[in-house]
Amino acid sequence: MTLIKMFLKTLFLSFSVCILLLNHSPLRAQEQPLTPKQILDKVDDLFRSQSSQGLATMTVATAHWKRSLSLEMWSKGKDKSLVRILAPKKEKGTATLRSGNDIWNYLPKVKRVIKLPSSMMAASWMGSHFTNDDLVKESRMADDYTFEITFMGEGEGEEIVEVTCHPKPEAAVVWGKVLVRARMKDYIPLFVKYFDEDLRLARTMTFSQVSELGGRLIPAMVTMVPEEKPEESTNIHYKKMDYDIDLKDDFFSLRTLQR
Amino acid sequence: MNILQYGWRNLWRNTRRTCITLAAVTLSTAILIASYGLMDGLMQHAVSNATNLVVGEVQVHAQGYRGDHSIYKALNRPDLILRAAKQNNVAAAPRRYGYGLVAVGTKSAGARFWGVEPVLERTTFDLAQRLDQGRFLSETSQRGVVLGQKLARSLQAKIGSEIVVVVQAADGSLGNDLFTVTGILKPAGDSIDRNAALIHAADFDELFVSGGRIHEVALNSRGTVSLEGLTELLSIAAPEEEIMSWRQLMPEVSDMVNLFDAFIWIFGLIFLLAAGMGVMNTMLMATYERIREFGILKALGATPWRIIGDVAAEALVLAALGTVLGTILGLAGSYYLQEVGLDLSIFAGTYSVGGVAFDPIWRATISPKMVFIPVMLMLIIGLFASLYPAALAARLDPVREDRGSSKVRSNSKF
Repeated sequence: MTLIKMFLKTLFLSFSVCILLLNHSPLRAQEQPLTPKQILDKVDDLFRSQSSQGLATMTVATAHWKRSLSLEMWSKGKDKSLVRILAPKKEKGTATLRSGNDIWNYLPKVKRVIKLPSSMMAASWMGSHFTNDDLVKESRMADDYTFEITFMGEGEGEEIVEVTCHPKPEAAVVWGKVLVRARMKDYIPLFVKYFDEDLRLARTMTFSQVSELGGRLIPAMVTMVPEEKPEESTNIHYKKMDYDIDLKDDFFSLRTLQR
Repeated sequence: MNILQYGWRNLWRNTRRTCITLAAVTLSTAILIASYGLMDGLMQHAVSNATNLVVGEVQVHAQGYRGDHSIYKALNRPDLILRAAKQNNVAAAPRRYGYGLVAVGTKSAGARFWGVEPVLERTTFDLAQRLDQGRFLSETSQRGVVLGQKLARSLQAKIGSEIVVVVQAADGSLGNDLFTVTGILKPAGDSIDRNAALIHAADFDELFVSGGRIHEVALNSRGTVSLEGLTELLSIAAPEEEIMSWRQLMPEVSDMVNLFDAFIWIFGLIFLLAAGMGVMNTMLMATYERIREFGILKALGATPWRIIGDVAAEALVLAALGTVLGTILGLAGSYYLQEVGLDLSIFAGTYSVGGVAFDPIWRATISPKMVFIPVMLMLIIGLFASLYPAALAARLDPVREDRGSSKVRSNSKF
């Protein structure tokens, strides 16, 4: 599954934790009473399933070039995903497999699989504004951060909720703070802001074009903009999503990667 | 009689005393020359190692390149820089740099790719000769790669290993290819050891789709052109680019050189003081011994200046003789240290300081200033050391001293 999906998952996993915590707070009073389990399920239903398959276009614009990649992606559970590039021709067949905290890349031109060294985790994924670390950190987010509702109410024309994630003191994390805003009614995210260790805004991920894909309402467009270079961006536009398809665990193997 | 001849004769009136002082001056001079040579040798070794290996004496980059190493910050007109260097007979090597991933089997690591012109690299710098295994890149591009030692070790790469290379190309695409390891470098400073993957410039341009961008031109005249000369040459050829000398590029080496300079002076001063004391002691003894003689000279009408002149001449002759012998001995020692050197390998193998690799053989250098400075200092201190006893002698009251000394003599007789 692509990185964006992971973000969403992370986001909503953390989200559910927040909401879970929030359940006893008086702020929740206005909403119809939902048990924590129900909220969790709702979030999960919206953004994650047992498995998924999708098609997307990733458009990366930098000061020096702009290009689009067609991607096909699969995911299963929280920590297995596979992304394969369908176009352009030069990268066709290039694939990334993520299993747990490990990332492998398959390079069809040289017909080799390489495992990404930990030193390259902070490097860009396929030239985009996402890093390899973004691919794997989902499963760690819940362990490394504490969550807190920092805003709830009217904002941007609708009922929104804002959650701030702070890293635990001992956690080895990249971000000093992560701020998430989502719609109250369906928990569709609006944006995520990433702050560096000095709590300066480093990058912003915005969600838009909420539309129905695979029977769910999700934001079909995800845009990442680095704060330092506002003229640069990476867009991921989801074209097609299918949920709860039949995928075996061994689909996420080095053999599939090389197919 | 000539005052110097007079001094010469006086010297040999007490052969043993003179010989001891002479030995002190000789040894001090010799040690000064040899240790100066060793210190200078270490310094020059450090500097030439640092500059000849790969850095060069002066480098040119695009403004701001050294800040972020962006592949897009290339030199505007590297051709003009290379032409200017050639016209002035200065060897120069153009380099391309880019970052990426290298993998052998299941091992992978980040690397800094150097796109080099093998022929220019070989003629300009020593790196191409400093291979631990294998050989340097061939003149035509054959998808060969030369790895830094620690990088090769962490990849468990050997000569002939096939390595997968993945990079972010300049057009945004994913550059990837297979290369064959042709060589592994000897230790050449930590950043090269850990990161460097040298490939042919043509392979680099293809891999990175970088359109021949050149990020650095390193000039190395091997000391034939001064730093100022090189900087001036470049500021004319590439006025808008950033020009840096090795002293700016490697401030730690520059600091070390300055520190060594200070060491040499401190050591020199200690030896000079020791030798100066020796000379002064001899002069004092000789003067006291000849107090009666000076008394008679004064009684016969010698002026104080004549006596000062005599004593100073004696010291000068002694110092001159000592420094000549010392120079011969010192040069012989320096020559040995230059040709054979001190083998420090029992203490350490190849070691590196501030990213500069050193050979375990410590060699001296010989240059005119290494003889001139110790000899001049020795002569001056010899002369000054004699002035105090000379002044003592000149102030003698002839009558009293004559009497005093006869009394001593009569006492010793009876």
